[in-house]
This record gives sequence, structure tokens and C-alpha cells, in this order.
Amino acid sequence: MSAITETTARQEGPLPETPETPALAREDTARRHRALVLPRSPKVILGVVIVGIFVILMVVGPWVAPYSPSSTQFAASLHPSAAHWLGTTVLGQDIFSQLLVGARATLIVGFVAGLIATVLSTVIGVTAGYIGGPTDDGLSLVSNVFLAIPGLPLLIVVESYLPAHDQSNSFIIGAVIALTGWAWGARVLRALTMSLRNRDFVEAARIIGERRARIIFSEVVPNLLAVLASSFLFTMLYCIGAYVALAYIGVTSTAVWNWGTMLYWAQANNAALANQWWWFVPPGICIALVGMGLALLNFGIDEFINPRLRAAGLTRKVVRRSRLSNRPRLGLTPVLGRPA
Amino acid sequence: MTGVWDDDVVEAADVRASSAPAGITETQDGPGMPAALETVPETAPETALETVPEPVPGGPALAVSSRGRDKGAVVTPSERPGEALLPAPSEDDAVFEICDLSIDYGLGPGALHAVRHADLMLRRGRVLGLAGESGSGKSTLVYGATRLLRQPGVVSGGSVRLYSRRRGEEGRVVDLLAASERELRRIRWSEISVVLQSALNALNPVSTIESEFDDVLKAHRREMSRKTRRERAAELLTMVGINADRLRDHPHELSGGQRQRVMIALALALEPQVVIMDEPTTALDVVTQREIIEELIGLRDRLGFAMLFITHDLSLLIELADEIAVMYAGRIVERAGASTLYRSPRHPYTHGLLNSFPPMHGETRRMTGIPGSPPDLAAVPAGCAFRPRCLYAMERCGTEAPALVPLDGEEHEAACFLHSGDVAVPGELAR
Amino acid sequence: MLAIARRIGLYVLTAWVAITVNFVLPHLMPGNPIDQLVGKLTGRVTPQIVHAIELQFGVGLHQGLVAQYVRYWEQLFHGNLGTSITLSAPVSTVLGQTVPWTIGLIGISTIVSFVLGTIVGTLLGWRRGTVLDAVLPISTFFQAVPYFFFGTVLLLVFGSHLGWFPILGAYSPNVTVGWHWAFVASVLRYGQLPALTVVLSSIAGWIMGMRNMMVTTVGEDFVLMAVAKGLPKRKVIAYAARNAVLPSIANISLALGLLVSGALLVELVFNYPGVGDLLLQAVENEDYPLLQGIFLVITFTVLAANLIADVIYLALDPRIRGEA
Ligand SMILES: Nc1ncnc2c1ncn2[C@@H]1O[C@H](COP(=O)(O)OP(=O)(O)OP(=O)(O)O)[C@@H](O)[C@H]1O
Ligand code: SF4
Ligand SMILES: [Mg+2]
Repeated sequence: MSAITETTARQEGPLPETPETPALAREDTARRHRALVLPRSPKVILGVVIVGIFVILMVVGPWVAPYSPSSTQFAASLHPSAAHWLGTTVLGQDIFSQLLVGARATLIVGFVAGLIATVLSTVIGVTAGYIGGPTDDGLSLVSNVFLAIPGLPLLIVVESYLPAHDQSNSFIIGAVIALTGWAWGARVLRALTMSLRNRDFVEAARIIGERRARIIFSEVVPNLLAVLASSFLFTMLYCIGAYVALAYIGVTSTAVWNWGTMLYWAQANNAALANQWWWFVPPGICIALVGMGLALLNFGIDEFINPRLRAAGLTRKVVRRSRLSNRPRLGLTPVLGRPA
Repeated sequence: MTGVWDDDVVEAADVRASSAPAGITETQDGPGMPAALETVPETAPETALETVPEPVPGGPALAVSSRGRDKGAVVTPSERPGEALLPAPSEDDAVFEICDLSIDYGLGPGALHAVRHADLMLRRGRVLGLAGESGSGKSTLVYGATRLLRQPGVVSGGSVRLYSRRRGEEGRVVDLLAASERELRRIRWSEISVVLQSALNALNPVSTIESEFDDVLKAHRREMSRKTRRERAAELLTMVGINADRLRDHPHELSGGQRQRVMIALALALEPQVVIMDEPTTALDVVTQREIIEELIGLRDRLGFAMLFITHDLSLLIELADEIAVMYAGRIVERAGASTLYRSPRHPYTHGLLNSFPPMHGETRRMTGIPGSPPDLAAVPAGCAFRPRCLYAMERCGTEAPALVPLDGEEHEAACFLHSGDVAVPGELAR
Repeated sequence: MLAIARRIGLYVLTAWVAITVNFVLPHLMPGNPIDQLVGKLTGRVTPQIVHAIELQFGVGLHQGLVAQYVRYWEQLFHGNLGTSITLSAPVSTVLGQTVPWTIGLIGISTIVSFVLGTIVGTLLGWRRGTVLDAVLPISTFFQAVPYFFFGTVLLLVFGSHLGWFPILGAYSPNVTVGWHWAFVASVLRYGQLPALTVVLSSIAGWIMGMRNMMVTTVGEDFVLMAVAKGLPKRKVIAYAARNAVLPSIANISLALGLLVSGALLVELVFNYPGVGDLLLQAVENEDYPLLQGIFLVITFTVLAANLIADVIYLALDPRIRGEA
């Protein structure tokens, strides 16, 4: 449930109200659609690498897993070794295989849920922001209600009422998670759409009589892409967190291998108290790494959206090389050639 | 008015009376100047001819303004013994001086040179106007000089000095570019106050007006009690024409004009010797703008602070300022007394600027404006930066950059080859 | 106080939605879960409980849905949330015993986390461009660690391995429950590790949020103005932080639902006798009345906490206050 931070991390709101980000606004009228080019900082590169590795794992994981994840053919509670890279469970299952196989379900559910939620939030947010009036009031109210209801307890109730065969269906679970995860994105996109609505080029399209749907798709949505991407990353992060939590409590089928069920079985068998760190640490680290990768990618998008967050012109390296009186800081403009 | 306040008014007035420089006759009457402008007719061409300067011997050698060197000699006389014989500078009337200041955005080869070799001198109790189009580097110049410029701004050369002369203190020279953070903190606001360009956003949105005053007084006047601080705040607010019961308001409850007045009252709270105002009236309507300017003139007369006033509205400056410097593409291209500049601009750019604003008083001129647009500072043309827009551009202008040199005596300088003596000066620049 | 009235309106509406969803879910889910449940329970628990369940979900009453809905509201107003199947006790009684533990643990650790995170974020934002920036990528990792996993690791390392903290439960089994020092001390001692888990797993979010907001705010003119006024550095930072914290507080209401969800699972790791632990039992035993009661109670608590955050925000932002 680490996605908790999504709201706070982005609270400065990538909402380009014109006085806040004049650079964006100005550029925006000049070149209407800016391509989403991520700044090439080490943070962003690390993010791309991490996410890339897990995407590969998602595709090939079950194929390259050395053993069947459920097979209890090995000795119980083996420490990590050459034969079993991550040891075995108390039931004698190979943990490395569980990790590889589990990657697919975990990430696919996260991806599907993130995708559904983002589509929902785009449709609702853009409609509300563009049309305004009572439509906006209604849709905003719905999003605010969904934001206020704590997601996980609701998910648990809904999922536990699902028939048993649906509790193992990734797509149904993903869809249910998406229902609790769209509201934040809708809010952000609504605000952004409202500010875009009054920009010159949208105004112009309206005046020459373009159809509303066309304006939305060809003028508004392309300008939302950066925020949309960022919203998708965070929603996906939330969805993975929610899925893992559900699996950990045992609401979803415990027979489906994902990182959450691995943690469920570890907890059920008191792996922590028995000092069997190799059982629960790998899935936990993997979840955190995926989240880290997504968040690092998002750094790039945030800096793209809000230039103020970008490392300002004087990087630490340049400053160190120059003979400046001091490190640049507020109210103490450095003077060249007068090292302190 | 408390006793402290009255005393300072007297002192400031004294300073002004004793230090009025003999050279600037046209500004002797200070605030009465606008009236003078109305009555003084266009100077006849014949008289103008008499004031055409002698050809400057050695032309380019004067790349560094003579003023800059004089001042350097004052502070560190031992360094330049050879120049000790130059005419004694009137250092006792300079209060804030910028010499050869250059400011860049960024470091290394990619740096943008936003201000180059700028010289400015602010005299005690006087108003110096800094004019120029948007992007010419006015704000950069003053923020850099006061070390308030943000990243990636870097001061890349020159010197900035404050000739402090508080009552009960020895005269003291503060080198702002070498000052420590502590030293800067001490002189900020108590000796130099700066009203930022976006003064409307300069008040803390979550504090009351009273706490804005309170913070300043608490930081710089430790001896003041809470009660005196509150009284002083009320007094200051009344001084700029705002009811003292607005002290409890927040900025968003004030109009733009009121916020601007609050800023002015705040800037005067510690009776600084220097007040820098960066386009304090740009965001306001014409009527409010007028009121505030008149109020500023009145306050300056009463309190005697020196003011550096930045605007792109030259006609405003002609009424308000004693002396005016005009900036173009990061350089100061002309500097003269206000009425001299108005009557006889020497730089084609100043001439163009004067023709692009309707004057507030006086006869109307034909408005012609300046063709073209200001250069991108990242790609300033070689030679004179104004050349692409200049009606009088010559061959030489494309290769050499003109330096700011004295023309009709020390008090009028311009940076243009038209006045180098090699060519006939066009009539409109020789009035 | 228009702003507050609007927020209260929203929360009342949200509460109504939650209650209605709670009522509608069992009736609308595919596969008739109630009938199945009753079938499963018959013979396993006392007939009284089966009857109570049938009453609660309207089995065999041959009432219309609307009439059942009205009856559901009546029950709610009497504080009747149904009977727990596994515990054979009224859900309201069960929750009355567990909710204080949860509010104590999560409430305190959330406040600590918010305050600490805001302070650290303020400093990081102020000193941007220094080595401190290295905290950012690290904090994204901690942000992404699931609370319960973090708890498990802390439990293993500091509880069972190093033995620095007691593990499992909310107080020592050797003290008698009551308002005396030995018990309070034991509660404080046992609460440390779970609280530490919640603080450490949620703090990164507050740090990041505050840091980014600080960076934006320090770019504002009134902060430069504070410097130009020659105010002490402490005061300048306070100017910026005082403004930057506002969005953080406004965001509490957005973050709270997620935070509580995450923290509930921490109880589960530490066998803490709060709502989270109860939730697990309810899921394991398909104890629907208990599950739904928990959902309602959590929702109401979160809404109340949201309202408190809104009031604080209102008190701190004169601009909104003026609107009212
Ligand atoms: N942070 C920055 N980084 C790079 N260049 C900058 C930065 N700030 C200003 N500049 C450039 O420096 C030049 C001078 O800007 P400055 O704000 O000093 O102009 P100005 O004369 O005050 O204009 P205005 O009348 O619009 O206030 C401009 O060309 C501007 O593009
Ligand atoms: S130096 Fe040449 S280009 Fe520049 S202003 Fe004078 S005449 Fe024009
Ligand atoms: Mg400016």
C-alpha cells in the first residue's frame, strides 16, 4: 500500500496554471504539442532499467522458472544454495521459481488495473473539465466520494463476495481494483483540462466550429499526455500495492502464484519468526523495486512538467570546477573569480 | 510622527542640501522638475551645436568608463597611485555605486551574458532612473548587485559598493560582492531595501500586513518593544495613505495598489539610505500609477532616501528621476540628467524610446517607436548590439562595440560611434 | 464557513454511499453469496446465529429490497451492525474493543510521521542541489515497500533476531489490563515496533511531498523578499515552509484512506489486537457481518479524520478562510 504517497509526492500538482509555470504556458502556445521527452538524468535512466528488467521478467518468468512453483518435491526450509537460489519453503517448494512465476500475475494485474483506471479517469476527468457546469459538478462529486472512501477495506469486502472462480481471475480482480483507483487521476486531469480549455489553440478550434469530440481528442488529450503518463505510473503502483495486499490477506485465491500469495504463505507459516528471511524478503524487495522504478520514471515526467524541479543550470559539478565565491544559494548570488 | 522619525527627516534634508552636486544644474530644483520641463522649450539647434563634445582622443582606450576608475581609486588609493591626480571624485555624495558589473546566467561557455560592464552611481537623496525594454537586463542588474539574483545567475565581474553613512557611525564602505552572508543580512533593508518587480506577489500570503512590518523591525531593531513596533507599523501605513486598521488584513484582502503601497511603506520602514524599486507600478492602472509615483516623490522629498527606480516607461522617469541610465541588451548605452536626456538624447536607442511613449506632460511628439525587436541575449550581434535596429548604423558598428564615453562634459555619456567625432551627427541626436 | 460546510456535505454523502454499498453488495453479487453462507453455516453454528444472519441479510423475509433497505437503516441507527459469525457476538461490541487500539496506533504514528516527514522535507527542499538530494531515489524505494513487508522485516531483525523489542500483541500477557502504570508501560513498549513500521513506511511520502512543495515555494517572490528584508535564515525557511505545508495538509485527506489501509495490515503482522487483525479473521472465516462492520467503521473514522484535517487547513490558510 505504498502508493499512499502518490498524492503527497505530486501535490504541487502538475496543473500548469499559467502564473505557476509560465515557461510551459508560453511554449505551449508556440508549439502546441510537446513531445514527452524525459530528461536524461541518472534517476530516470535507473528507472527505465528497473522497469525494463521487470517487464522482461513478466514475459519470460514462467518459462525460465527452473521448477514448478507448487511442487513440494524438495526438502523443507532449505537455505539458499546453488540448486535453490532462494531456498525452499516449509513445504519444500522452490522459492526462486515462485518468484519468477509470480512476477507475471503481479505485474499483469497491476498493469491491467492501472490501464482500466487511467482510461476511467481520463474519460471522467476530461469530460468534467471540458464540459463544465452540472456535468462537472456531478462527476467531481463522484470522484471526491471515491477518494474519501478508504480503498482497501472496500476492496476486501467486494473481493470476498466474489465467487471462488472469480477470485483467481486476474482480469476481474484488476477491474475491481481499478474501480477504487481512478479518482485521483480524474481529479488531476480535470483540473488540467480546465486550464487547457481556455488556451488559445483550443479556443481557436472551437471558434472555427470543430466538433467537441475532435477538439478533445486532437487538441486537449495530446497536451495531457505527460500528466496522463505520470498518472498511469502512479495508478499502476497503487494497483500493484492493492493486489499484493489483497493476496497477502488471502482474499484472492491463494492458489494463484503472485508475490502477494508468497508473502501470505510466508506469514501463515511464521517465516519471520522462524528466521526464514529468504522466503519473504525476495518478493518484498521485488515489489519495492518495481515501485521504485515506476517512481523514478515519474521523476522524469514531473521534471518535464514542472521545470522548477529540474536541476537548475548550475550543477554541482560545474560549480565545483568554477572559481565561485560560494555555492549558489538564495540571497547569496555567487561571484566568479573570488573563491572564498 | 515620533521623535526618532522627525530627527531623521531633518538629517536627511541636511544631507541633500549639502551634497547637491554643482554639475547637475538641471536637476537642482528636484521635484519641481516636471514643471520646469513644461516651460522649457525645445533647445535651439544652435545651442546644441555648442555642446557637441570634443573628439575623444584615443577612442577605444576609454572602454572602461572614467567614472569606474575614479571610484576604484577612492576605495583603494594605494593600488592606483598614478590616478590620484584625477579630479577629486565627489565621493561624499555617492551612496551606492556599481562599477563595471557583469552578470551571467550559467557558467562556462554556455553562459548567457545578461549584463555587461555596467556602471551606475546613485547619489545621496537622488533618484536614478534605469530604463530599457523588457529583457534588457534591468532587473538582473539590480538583483545581481544586491546578491539577490537566483540560480543560475552569477556575478562575473565588477564591484558594488555601499557608502554607508548612518547617524552616529563612521562613514563605511561595504563591498557587496565580498560581503559575508551575515554582513549582507545586516545591511539588507536597513540600508538598502528592494521592492521586487512582482511586488504584488512579494507579500507572504499567509501573514498579516502587521507581521510583515513586525518581522522586519524585530530582525533589525532589536531594542524596539512589541508596542513600539506596532505603532511604527501603523505610522508607516498611514504615511502611504492606508488606514492603520488594515494591519490585520492579509495580502489577498488588499487591492493591487494597496499592496504596492504596503510594499513602499515596508521598504521605508528602517529609513534605508537606498531604495531600489523594480517597476513598482507596472501592474497598476494609470491613475493608481500616478498616485503612487506622486506619493513616492513626496516621500523622497521628506525622507531623503536615494532611489534607484526601474521602469520601461521612460516618460515616467523623466518626471521622477534626477538622472537616467538607459539599458540595451545588457549594456548601459546612455546616461544623463533627466531633462538633458529628454531634451537631447544622444543614443539612437534613447531617441527611439522617447518617441515610443507619449509624454505625460509637455508637448506631444510624433510617436515613431523603434523598428524591430530587442536581440536575444544568447545571440547578441557582434559590434553594437543595437545595429540591426539602428537607422544610422555605419560600417564600424558591425565590428566594434562602442564604449560608454562622456560627451557634453562628465554628466552625459553615451555609447555610440556617431559621437566619436568622425562623422556628422544627425540633427535629432545633436539637439 | 462555507468551505467546511461543503466538506461536511461531501463526507455525509460519502458515508451514505458507503452504507448503501454495504447494503447492496451482498444482494447484487453474482452467485448468491448469502444463500451459500447460510447453507454453509447451518449445523456449524448455533441456530440463533443463523437466524440473526438471515435477519440481517433479509433471507426468507420475502420483503422487497426497499423495505429491507429501510430496515437496514433502522438497525444502523440502533448501533446494530449484525452478529459476528466466528465470535458469536454483536459486531458493534467486537469493534468497540478493537477500534481504540487501531486509532491509538495508527493515529499516533501518522501524526509522528507527518511531523517528522514535513520537517525533513522542509530541509531537503531548502537545501536542494546538495548531497541531500541523494535521499530522493532512496526514498522512492521506501515509498514502494508494502507496510506489512516492512513490518515483517523489522519484526525479524529487531524483534526475533536482536530481541530489542517485544513482538506480537499489544501488551505483555503477564500484566493485568487496567489503568495502571505497569499496563500503560507495557502498551507503550509493545507499540514501539508496529508504530515504527507505520512511521518508516509512510514518512517517505510526506518527505517527498514537502520537499517538492518547498522547492516550488522557495521559487516564489515572497521568499526572496524575506531574504531581501534581511530576515534571519530560520525566519526565511519558516516563511516558505508555512506556505509549503498547506498542500501537504490538504493532501492528508487524500492520503489517509491509503495510509489506514496500509497500516491495518501492520497490525496483522504484529498480531496487534486492532481492526486489522480482526479483518484477517473475518476474511479467513468468511464472516461477512464482521467484514462489513469493519468496512463501515474504518470509513467513518477516515471521514472524521479528514474533517479534522480540513479544519486545520482552514485555520492555516487565510485565503480560504476569507472565502467563507
Ligand atoms: N533564470 C534565467 N536564466 C536564463 N536567462 C535569464 C534568466 N532570467 C532572466 N534571463 C534573461 O536575462 C535577460 C534579462 O532579464 P531581466 O529580467 O533582467 O530583464 P528586465 O530588463 O528586467 O526586463 P523586464 O522589463 O521584462 O522586467 C532576459 O533576456 C532574460 O531572458
Ligand atoms: S554605434 Fe552604430 S549601430 Fe550602434 S547605435 Fe550608434 S550608430 Fe547605431
Ligand atoms: Mg525586470
